[in-house]
Parts: sequence; C-alpha cells; structure tokens
Amino acid sequence: MAGDTSMAQGMLGAFIEIDAACNAIAALRKQNVGRITVFTPAPRHEFEHALQPPRSPVRMYTLIGALSGAVFGWWISIWGSNYWPLVVGGKAISTWIPYTVFAFELMVLIGGLSTVAGLFIHARVPRLTMTVGYDPRFSGSHYGVWVECAPERLRDAETILRQAGAEEVRGDQ
Amino acid sequence: MATLAQPGPDTGPMRPNIAKAGLQLPAVKDYAQVDREIMGTLHPTRGWFILLMVSVACLGVGALSWIYQIHEGLGVAGYAPPVMWGVYIVTFVFWIGIGHAGTLISAILYLFRAGFRTTIYRCAEAMTVFAVMTAGLFPIIHLGRPWKFFWLLPYPNWRLLWPNFKSPLVWDVFAILTYLTISVTFLFVGLLPDLATLRDAEKNPFRKRILGALSFGWRNSENEWRHFARAYLFLAAFSTPLVLSVHSIVSFDFAMALVPGWHTTIFAPYFVAGAIFSGMGMVYTIIIPIRKFFKLEHYVTLNVMDAGAKLTLFTSMVVGCAYMVEYFIAWYGGVPAEQDYFMNRVFGQWWWAAWIMLTCNVILPLSLFSQKLRRNPTWLWILSLFINLGMWYERFVIVVPGLSHEFEPWQWTGYVPTFIDMGILIGSFGWFFMWFLLFIKQLPVIAISEVKEIVPPRLKEAASHGGGH
Repeated sequence: MAGDTSMAQGMLGAFIEIDAACNAIAALRKQNVGRITVFTPAPRHEFEHALQPPRSPVRMYTLIGALSGAVFGWWISIWGSNYWPLVVGGKAISTWIPYTVFAFELMVLIGGLSTVAGLFIHARVPRLTMTVGYDPRFSGSHYGVWVECAPERLRDAETILRQAGAEEVRGDQ
Repeated sequence: MATLAQPGPDTGPMRPNIAKAGLQLPAVKDYAQVDREIMGTLHPTRGWFILLMVSVACLGVGALSWIYQIHEGLGVAGYAPPVMWGVYIVTFVFWIGIGHAGTLISAILYLFRAGFRTTIYRCAEAMTVFAVMTAGLFPIIHLGRPWKFFWLLPYPNWRLLWPNFKSPLVWDVFAILTYLTISVTFLFVGLLPDLATLRDAEKNPFRKRILGALSFGWRNSENEWRHFARAYLFLAAFSTPLVLSVHSIVSFDFAMALVPGWHTTIFAPYFVAGAIFSGMGMVYTIIIPIRKFFKLEHYVTLNVMDAGAKLTLFTSMVVGCAYMVEYFIAWYGGVPAEQDYFMNRVFGQWWWAAWIMLTCNVILPLSLFSQKLRRNPTWLWILSLFINLGMWYERFVIVVPGLSHEFEPWQWTGYVPTFIDMGILIGSFGWFFMWFLLFIKQLPVIAISEVKEIVPPRLKEAASHGGGH
C-alpha cells in the first residue's frame, strides 16, 4: 500500500525477496532516480553487486593507527629508559629488540581502536535518532530500499519499487 | 562478520558469502526462525538462576579469602621460599590460556574461512573477555599490596620514575591490557548488529532505549555493513598475531629466568598451543550445556562439534609433542640440573601432578581419533573437564616443580596451597561464570546476523538463481 507521497523526499520499498530488491536497485540506478540506501538484516554480496559501492577507506585508519602505535611503543620505552636509566645485567640502557614488544602491542592497540574509529566515522555511528527510511523490519527478515530523490521523481521511484515486487511502498520525509 | 570478499565482476555466478564446507544448517529455514530461536534463549529460567547463585556464592568465597589475605598479609598464601609463585600465578596463566581459544575461534578461524566457527564464536569471544578479566586479577592478588598495581604502568609522575621496560612483567601488563581492550572491542563491534535486532524486537520501552543506546543507532544499511565488514576483517587480522604474542609474552615470564625447566626457547610456541588447547576444553564445557538447555542442537550441530574436536585433537598432539621435546632437550642438553628437574617432575616429588597432566592432556584426547566419540556431546563434555583439569596442572607442573627444585639441593622444598589459595581459585571460577551467565541472558549466544548470512534468503525467482545464497 502506498502512503501519502505529496510531502515526501524519498520513497521506501520493503522487500521480502532479495532478488526483487536487487532488481529494484538495478532499475533505480538505470533511471538515475536518486540516492539509494539499502537496508539488509545481514550483509549480502548481491547488494554489493547491485550498488557497486567504492572501497571502504577504513583500511587507511588501520594503517595510520598501527604505524603510530608502533612508533609510540618504541618511543615511550626508549625515552623512558633514557630518562630513568636502569642498568640491567650490563645490557644497554635502550635495547630496541625487547622494546619491540611495546611497539607490537601498541601497534595492535592503536591500530585496532583506529579501525573502530574509522568504522564509526564512515558508518555514521553512534547515531542518536533513526533517520528517515528505516523500519524495524530491516533487522528482522525484510530488505529495505530507500530512494532519496527530488519530489518530481517520487512517482517514478514508487512505480519501480512496486514493479520489482516490494511488499510495501511508502513515502517518507 | 562473514562478508570479506570484494564484489566480483557482474558476469558469472555469485560467490557465497561464507565458506559453507564446515557448516550446514538444514533445520534453519528463514530469518524469522533465526530471530525467534536465538532471541528465545534470553528469558531467565530457574536453572539459570540457581547456577548464577552458585557462581555468586563461589565468588563470595574468593572475595572473603582475598579480604582475609589483604588483612593478614601474603603469608597466608602457601608460599615457602624459594617457591614464591604458586596457585595465583598458575591460575593466572590458566585463565589467560582459556581466553586464547576464543580468539582462535572468532578471529583466526574467521581468516581461514572455517565455517564451523559461525555458531560458536560469540560464546567463545565472550569467554575470552571474561577469562582475561579473571586472569588480570591474579597478578594483582599476587602483589600482596594490590593498591600499588598501577606502579607497573608508565605514566608521568611526581617522582619522575618509569618502569623497567626490560622486565617481562611490564611486557605482560602491556600485552594483557591490549588483549583485553581488543577482545572487548572485537566482541562489542560484532554485537552491534545483533543489538540492533534486539532493539527492534523489544517491546519494553525502557529496555528498548537501553538497547538503542548500546546499538549506537545501527540501521543495517549497506553502507554500515560495508565498513563493518572491513573493520571486522582488520580487527580479526590484528587479533591473530595478538593472541600469539600474548601467551608468548606470558611464557617469557618464565623463559627469561634461569630456573631449570623454565629457561627454554620452546616456551612461546608450547604455551600458545597449550592455551588454545585449554581454551577449546573450556569452549566445550560451556557450549555443550548451552546447546542442550537452549535447544540449539540444530545450530551447534554435530558437524560443528566434530570439527572443533579435530582442532582439540590437533592441539593436544602439539602439546604432547612439546612435552616430549622438553624431555628430550633436557636429556640431550646434558645439563645435570635440568635433567634432575625433569626426573623429579615426572618420577619424583611431583609425579602425581605430571601424570595428571599427561593423562588429561595427551592420553585421553587420543580418544578423539574416533569419529563416534568426536560426535558424542556427552563424551566431549566429560573430556573437556579433564582437559581443564589437565591444563591447570600443566601450569602447576611448570611453576611449582621448577621453583621447588632449583640448582642448590639445600633449597629443595615442597609446596602446599592453603585454604586461602583454594578459596581464591574457587572465587575465580565464580567470577568467570557469573559474568558468563549474565551475558547469556542479556545478549545472544549465537551471532544472529552471521547465521542469517548462511540461511538462504527468500527469492522471487528461485529457479533462475539455483536456490539462491
């Protein structure tokens, strides 16, 4: 059933079949109706094929965080040893080989936390409110296709979603 | 999350999201069933409540023992010079080891695309977090003056003092804190989509708000999943060498000392293999009752148990090999103190502990060569208890006989744990199981979103997609 679409800025289709959702995405992309957001209870390659998104930049956060952590691990141990020298067994004050333990652990720690920071920044979480287009069914057993478009394209979006086999199509703001 | 591969070319058949060779769930038909059955485990039962009370009682015993020790001093523990490491250090290494199988299952098997991990990894990950939380208490208990534990941390201070960065004990602090942080992060990130599922299914407005906050407003959008899959992959990739480093560093606590039986280069791989073996034992101790009482046999299938049992058998054989290499090198190295130590350990003063270890860790797991026993949950559970016992004794056999039988014969002595030692040991099990029991009634024990990846999605045109994936 269609909702009131007169004030809507986008159109939402709820699908129970994954291929129907993918067909809708393909048709929407072909007609360049608007910006598409897909909701899926589990990650599926079918949507990656349909949307062809760019590669996630999270890996850059991982790389920079890991390198920073390793450098900091070596630095803190070498600097701390020189600042408060403890002579142990006649060994050098700063011995970089055992200090690799600190470099490694901090590489993992800072690299891991940077990775999560990258995830949060690019996935836009934490999110205080559910933005338009979301429906609780999308964490259950439905797939959602939300098309954000100009008001004059709403009718096209609705038609495509219905033709693809959406269980429900509604306008949203 | 199981999605790792980059989108392939448009031509040709689509690849499945997860290697299914190790996991088939024929009795799981659709997403709604997954939600219903896994979320159905979250309702408290009388049996759960009784177990929780038992755990809290055990924790109480441990807490009272620790309070008594703080009041009376470390002398109430069973230390007798030169055996100044005892039950606390044994139990510390034991719990750190338990945690390792969790990371193996959640991270290493993920990188290796071992499908059987999917339905057991959440339990194993939670087990890791709670085991490391438990382990982390023991060096502090062992300090005697626990309020000074922060002296091990390198922080700017008024006295301009810094810790000895060449000490394996400081390495330990860094390794364990990193391990705890990354394990908690890995568990929490993996839980985000499931928290969103719980949030959306929740009727109680108060719980819904809490779950909404915990899920960070996760919406299951394709954009979120894309970054999530990448972040999860890198966290797994970090966790894999981390888990190897942590127990290697724990082994350096011993290997860096000149004590006979400790000063050996085999300790790092030996400890890592032992840790994974002991953790597999604890995974079975936990997961077998859960699958039975929560009626999850069609998720944690016999194939999953079988695959895990093969891993247990393999790590048991690695550990057995390490034992033999230890004995061989002691004989071949020709150092009398080393040879004498091993003779004393296996045929002398500590023979009973060494043979408990060998029986539980090497002999009994050989039964897993039988497929019939690998697929028998009752036997696997009984065996897991023996493995837990054997691996605690492995650490006992390393720590105590080494110190009680050093170079100078006049120093040779014995070691008898006191009631305080045993009280704190019991308390550690209470602490661990209390957290675990609270976890299994608040959060899903099986990753809902990962199971949904395995369940075939509904298709409009099933025939043209060959059943879909």
